[in-house]
Amino acid sequence: MTGRRTVGWAFAALAGAALGVSLVVLIVLIVITALQAGPITAMRAVAEAGISLSLRSMDVPSTRESLSYSTIAQVEAGSPASGLGMARGDALVAVAGVPVDRPSRAWDAVGAAPGGYEVTLPVAWIPRSEITLGALRATSVAGETRVVLTSPSPAAQGGGLRAGDVLLSAAGIPIVGTRQAWEALVVAARTQGTPIELTLERGGELQVIAWDPTARAELRFVRNPLRAWWTFLTTLNEPRYPERAGLFPAFVGSVYVVLVMAAVAFPLGVAGAVYLEEYAPNNALTRVIEVLVANLAGTPSAVVGIIGLEVFARALGAGRSILAGGLTLSILILPMMIVATREALRAVPQTLREAALAVGATRWETVRHHVLPYALPGILTGTILSFSRALGEAAPLLLLGAFLFVTYVPRGLGDSFTVVPLQIFEWATRPQDGFATVAAAAIVILVTLLLVLNALAIVLRNRFQRRWSG
Amino acid sequence: MVLTPHSLGRAARGRSRRERLATVGLTTAGLLAVVITFTIIALFIQGSVPFLRKVPLGEFLGGTRWAPIHEPASYGILPLVGATVVTTGIALAVAVPLGLLAAVFLSAYAPSSVRRVLKPALELLAGVPTVVYGFFALRFVTPLLQGFIPALGFWNGLSAGLVMGIMIVPYMASLSEDVLYAVPRSLWEGAYALGATRFETVVRVVIPAALSGIGAAFILALTRAVGETMIVALAAGRTPTWPPDPTKPLLTLTTAIVNIATGDHEATAFIWAAVFAIGLLLFLVTLALNTVSYLVIQRYREKYA
Repeated sequence: MTGRRTVGWAFAALAGAALGVSLVVLIVLIVITALQAGPITAMRAVAEAGISLSLRSMDVPSTRESLSYSTIAQVEAGSPASGLGMARGDALVAVAGVPVDRPSRAWDAVGAAPGGYEVTLPVAWIPRSEITLGALRATSVAGETRVVLTSPSPAAQGGGLRAGDVLLSAAGIPIVGTRQAWEALVVAARTQGTPIELTLERGGELQVIAWDPTARAELRFVRNPLRAWWTFLTTLNEPRYPERAGLFPAFVGSVYVVLVMAAVAFPLGVAGAVYLEEYAPNNALTRVIEVLVANLAGTPSAVVGIIGLEVFARALGAGRSILAGGLTLSILILPMMIVATREALRAVPQTLREAALAVGATRWETVRHHVLPYALPGILTGTILSFSRALGEAAPLLLLGAFLFVTYVPRGLGDSFTVVPLQIFEWATRPQDGFATVAAAAIVILVTLLLVLNALAIVLRNRFQRRWSG
Repeated sequence: MVLTPHSLGRAARGRSRRERLATVGLTTAGLLAVVITFTIIALFIQGSVPFLRKVPLGEFLGGTRWAPIHEPASYGILPLVGATVVTTGIALAVAVPLGLLAAVFLSAYAPSSVRRVLKPALELLAGVPTVVYGFFALRFVTPLLQGFIPALGFWNGLSAGLVMGIMIVPYMASLSEDVLYAVPRSLWEGAYALGATRFETVVRVVIPAALSGIGAAFILALTRAVGETMIVALAAGRTPTWPPDPTKPLLTLTTAIVNIATGDHEATAFIWAAVFAIGLLLFLVTLALNTVSYLVIQRYREKYA
């Protein structure tokens, strides 16, 4: 007896644990992903201070080592950064005392700095080569490249460099090229700090001078999470820089595609379900239709994508447009709509139909005036669930060739487009710093939207069930 | 309005015209599923013909090298089938036991208040888009697993399969719970009356009674895993390997389609024929599986209706 009971309890615990573990893993998944989106606030703060960063690297001569650094790829006109004299091509060396080897380091430094929404942090950068050094020339002497400073810039003169100096190494990093001379300064400043020990040959003699080529200033950053998320959601996408990524084109694309899909799949789905439930004779054809609907619901979305490409984009000439995307999703959603609507229709009491027919209503009048209104909440629930499924669907549109880099807002049915899940896919596949963060941010927005829609559907269904059963 | 024989007749004619119109319209909509399915089949067969004319069926189904854009091209589909089998197998090994146990807990053990909360929660989680799971596999599960298996590649079938399994758990649980819940109360009560414990009732009476339905749920989970695209596209990589190794990048049937479709080939290129051939294979497999599971569930419903 106790043995039987123990086995029973163990099994119950196992089953409960399975459910618990599954729920916990799924919830942890969503939470971890949401946390990944955290740095977006600091990224937007840096972008709004006016700078976009790029990762670069320099191969250290005569070693296999490669050292990374970050250049300022873009400075927005009129921004605080441009007011400080920062310009495209400068290298960002440190933010708040944190050496910046890659863009994410700068974002993290801004994010981690103590203070409120607004912080003013010291930034150090090395202006581009012609400002820092001036004009250089490479000459080859006995097979060795020598980099000669032909006309030093005012900054270089201020640091003690003169025309005709041959630059040999910066903090031990050999100088072997005109572009690389500046890179060596940047990497030296980042790894060893300033002043940099610069070895040069002047008038045939070796000289070592200590030089600090960095420019320093205080830059104000505004770390406002609400504003960061709002900007992310409402700006156009700048595909090169994750800190300027925007979800707006994808969001509008999703809305358009789902609207097209709704206009097609909702009437056809409801009509198909009404036919099967209220009109279809009980014969072999009806059973075949039922099997086919169930099959279509289980057809892999990649297969549906091929149909969309072949039929809508190519044969009907809709191209890679919103129209083709909406029609493709309709094929995917139609069977779901039919199944959901049929379930709602089945829940309508038979007595209602009989009463309507008994007072002389035709079949269509019965359906139109009695059955459909009664089933409406159930149909709406199924519709919301189907549409939210379509909102998250990426594979068929990926096959359709929806553009992965859409930087404008689509305006009409014939425009090319992208959708939120595809944009997430595109960001997730990019290895550069920061794209994982914006992918996670887009996931947070998409999942929140879907959870709200699904919760709405579930609430609707529960109220509806209680009403009919009670 | 004055009712005269004339106005009544007109109204009746209007009614019957509307009635005919409604019947025609609804029947057309009902037949749409048939039209779509046959369009798919016709399109895929038509698209596959040039492929099968050039590539012998034996070489297609039995070849172990998939290299459609190389010279010479090779169209052996086994690496893709193998990759799909590996990721699907891993996914089902996770999803079936967890989903089934969760369903048993919900239908046999959970108090109805708990069930009312957890069932919708499972359905909510089943609605999370697969691209989200793909991101999770790529960014968290793979790095986590690399701690235990140092040889694990950046792209690999293992983490894609595991995450696909996690994704399918709510689906499997929800489907099996429906099936278990549909087993008549009288069967449970009969078993209790004979002195069976709850465990014995579940394992010896309810699960056997629901077995065909559980089988159908299993098949639906299987087709879901076979057809899954975004998780494998993100986390499993795009390299066809034979024999398939879950620690290495894999190219599944679905990602092979994605690969070609996103590869910027001319619309007339022969490579599209390969897309149709793979698509036809996928469609036929899922058609067979879906039909079986649909018929099983129908019969099961009739048995207990």
